[in-house]
Amino acid sequence: MRLKDKVAVVTGGAQGIGRAVALGMGREGAQVVVADLQAEKAQSVANELRALGAEAAAIEVNVANESSVQRMAKSTLERFGRADILVNVAGIYYPKASVVELSEEDWDRTIDINVGSNFLCCREFVPAMRAQQSGRIISLASGIGHYGMRQFAHYAASKAAVIGFVKALAREVGPDGITVNAICPGSANTSMPRQHRSEEEVMARLRATPLPHVLEPEDIAGPILFLASAAAAYITGQSYNINSGSYMF
Amino acid sequence: MSQVALITGGGGGIGGAVARRMAAGGIAVVIADYDGQAAKKVKDEIVGAGGAADAFALDVTVAHKVKTLVTDVEKCFGRIDILANIAGGSAYTKRIEELTWAQWKEVMDVNLKGTFLMCREVAPIMQRQKSGRIINTASNYGVTGSALRTPYAAAKAGIITFTKSLALELAPDSVLANTVAPGPTDTPRVMEKESAEARRGRWWPNIPLGRTAVPQDLAEMYYFLTTPESAAITGQTFHVNGGVVMP
Repeated sequence: MRLKDKVAVVTGGAQGIGRAVALGMGREGAQVVVADLQAEKAQSVANELRALGAEAAAIEVNVANESSVQRMAKSTLERFGRADILVNVAGIYYPKASVVELSEEDWDRTIDINVGSNFLCCREFVPAMRAQQSGRIISLASGIGHYGMRQFAHYAASKAAVIGFVKALAREVGPDGITVNAICPGSANTSMPRQHRSEEEVMARLRATPLPHVLEPEDIAGPILFLASAAAAYITGQSYNINSGSYMF
Repeated sequence: MSQVALITGGGGGIGGAVARRMAAGGIAVVIADYDGQAAKKVKDEIVGAGGAADAFALDVTVAHKVKTLVTDVEKCFGRIDILANIAGGSAYTKRIEELTWAQWKEVMDVNLKGTFLMCREVAPIMQRQKSGRIINTASNYGVTGSALRTPYAAAKAGIITFTKSLALELAPDSVLANTVAPGPTDTPRVMEKESAEARRGRWWPNIPLGRTAVPQDLAEMYYFLTTPESAAITGQTFHVNGGVVMP
């Protein structure tokens, strides 16, 4: 049990990669806060965690809303007394639109949810980590933040921004014993790519990687657990690609 | 049956820590080092702690010696699951006009050619097994460059791209190849050249995490790259450097 007695907050923990991270944290002995906009689904992941013997709480949060994030952080710290690990998974992918057709509202929404959330959540939890002189922050970026994707300029920009944010924050909080890193997944077997592709297309793309290995949420969760563990104490400001070899940066 | 790892440079600071970490994880380790005595010392330590280990002297720049060792290891253990190429180093800090052709070749050979020769012999074994993990060693200097270390930086940059190409080549057989890029690390070899105090003064203020690495920091990353948790990772470069470089 690599994370015994640690308190871990996973935003976007109700489904997909976030759910795999939350369950993995619980299996490693952490007490887990499943923070998600989808309260019912978050509750059911918290129930799964309890069934594994882990202490867990589900908290409804809109990660792009300042007061909502503040409430989530406050109830986490009231209930568990500390926060050791923050995993920023919550994010959106859709809509698909070329730059000239993208509305200002959709631009703002993508940037706010994908990277504004990192700012709001880190701002709330860094003081507690700083007081402990230890902490782990891991943010979900994307390979698309490196190589871009047509009709997803808003998404690519938001994920590249996550990488820049992570590097800057790593420099800021390194002296306090807090590490900050990003994970850049390739396309994974979750609901996200199914928002704009058929099932057949999704599976064909997932199987088209150099490595004959369909990327599952657990493949992304594993490296996140490693970064959250004592073994990764000397790693900060990095963005690691997990993508079955589809992209090598 | 336990997994088998072949570790070059396994008698050195980082290599020794990697061998000990893998052995602690239940992997049988074959330690190869230019300095056969150093390899044996790490082996004895691991065996003394209840692990499985063997040790050999090896010059990774000599093709026929590499071939013989890899053949012997496969014969003896029946398989090779992990290859960690850690042998290497930056023997010279010299201005380019002061570097001889022989010195240039020496640094390129021990770092880049040694990695190539080892991979060339081990990859077919892993391809037959339809599984394997190759972990090569670069350096943050392979990305940033470093004054007075032109051959070392070139060799390490070469290892990063060599590994990406190899990863693409071996992926259809589920053989993974990744690179670990250490930053400033307190190994006996570098500590010999500089006092601990001078080293602290030079490095620590420039590192976000406020210290240089110990070999164990690196060993954990090599070990992670042998586990099922890293099954979807290939062709990537893992910088472990306290934040001194964030590519």
